[in-house]
Amino acid sequence: MMDFYREDILDHARNPRNLGKLPNPTLEAHVPNPLCGDVVDLTLVLEGNPPKVIRVGFEADACAISVAAASILTEKIKGKTKKELEKLTEKEVLSWFGGSLTPSRVECALLPLKALREALGE
Amino acid sequence: MFDVYKVRQDFPILTQKVNGKPLVYLDNAATSQKPEVVIDAISRYYREYNANIHRGVHTLAERATAGYEGTRERIAKFIGVRNPQEVVFTHGTTEAINLVSYSWGEANLKAGDIVLLTVMEHHSNLVPWQLLAKRKGIKLEFIDVDDEGYLKNAEDMIKKVKPKLFSFAHVSNVLGTINLVKNLIKVAHDVGARVLVDGAQAVPNLPVNVESLGCDFYVFSGHKMLGPTGTGILYAKEEILKGMPPFFGGGEMIKEVFLREASFKDPPHKFEAGTPNISGVIGLGVAVEYLTKIGMENVRKYEEELASYALGELGKVGELTVYGPKDPADRGGVIAFNVEGIHPHDLATVLDQEGIAIRSGHHCAMPLHERLGIGASARASFSLYNTKEEVDALVGAIGEAKKTLRSK
Repeated sequence: MMDFYREDILDHARNPRNLGKLPNPTLEAHVPNPLCGDVVDLTLVLEGNPPKVIRVGFEADACAISVAAASILTEKIKGKTKKELEKLTEKEVLSWFGGSLTPSRVECALLPLKALREALGE
Repeated sequence: MFDVYKVRQDFPILTQKVNGKPLVYLDNAATSQKPEVVIDAISRYYREYNANIHRGVHTLAERATAGYEGTRERIAKFIGVRNPQEVVFTHGTTEAINLVSYSWGEANLKAGDIVLLTVMEHHSNLVPWQLLAKRKGIKLEFIDVDDEGYLKNAEDMIKKVKPKLFSFAHVSNVLGTINLVKNLIKVAHDVGARVLVDGAQAVPNLPVNVESLGCDFYVFSGHKMLGPTGTGILYAKEEILKGMPPFFGGGEMIKEVFLREASFKDPPHKFEAGTPNISGVIGLGVAVEYLTKIGMENVRKYEEELASYALGELGKVGELTVYGPKDPADRGGVIAFNVEGIHPHDLATVLDQEGIAIRSGHHCAMPLHERLGIGASARASFSLYNTKEEVDALVGAIGEAKKTLRSK
């Protein structure tokens, strides 16, 4: 059975954390998935020295896997510096899903990470 | 008498299990499965008479040429064309439309001329014309769809914009709408337009007679009608083909070549440069023979019955929207739908766990989805080997997906 069905994943899809666009973000990105036209918007506010993520919000017109990935991602990146954010790998994102996504759905899971990387200006 | 269970035995792929469940293949509008006779014909070509066609005088070349040209004759007969030389082989519908836009379009259209399309077109009948518009400055106009999924005020639009070319789908690959081709062609001809009909979703599912429809161009794909991938057809009236410049230049399409110029063969060979998909075309000929034996009237009758049953059963599922005409007589075997609160990709993944293959996304019709006000849809599409039991499996699995995926 695919881990997509795992209750904790489904819970993130049904009740996404950190939903909503932040006003006056330090960093932001709007990333579409060319395969299906889904979109993830990510906004981050960083403060302090060195700057750390103090608030994060996302909006997604997207499937459950993209939404769950975005929800988990926003939880994981709070309190992190830019340098630490840059270290988040595709492998780690996919591990949230137990590494069991089919190739076509891997793109869905990685969409929020793509948004993060774009926000970081990579 | 059409017996679906007997037909299924001809398709080896259908006996397998996917994710532990019997395969329910409902993605036929994307590509159909192939009967054993087609698979065998391809294998036989490579085992027994693999050779290049048209120029060789040895036995294998003669046999390969006869197989390839034999398909041309079968296709012509299958779609109601008396002269097989009006049938051009391409790699698919997309190439066929590109061939017309580059060859006929470049030679016959000028800046300001209008090409009329519809909002229900597949990307393959939009993008080639957009590219031509950029190159030549032609203008594109579009016929809208109404809320039921029918073309809206099509006749008025044709008379109003007086296009040089009207290019539209015989059957929509999302809405399933069977357009009133014969009538639309007549109206278009009355204003002096040439007409191209995209038959990719029609020829696999309905009896089609392009001469009685009156088409100038008719295009379709082999792989959606039980044939191999990489095969497609451009039908065009002989006098039109004769006036068209070549599309690709190279071997197979020439009479004589000098260093600075060349003369070309007559159509259809003028448009078949290079070594074509010989094994594919031979396989397609066998697919056409298979469909002819069953009879396209029987295929249509059965698929309409199946679509009608599916529409009824899907109608019983709550919070499910089906797009396109309600009357099964007005639609092909394509049913696009959405379940409230479930992204079609997620639905397709959950159904895949049950061995059920459907399509999710925009089905290469982004503008139509935009027009419908949705980002994507799920699509089940039928072929002659699908059964009512498979429809039941689909409907049951959608019910399960609702339980799994939706907020409690």
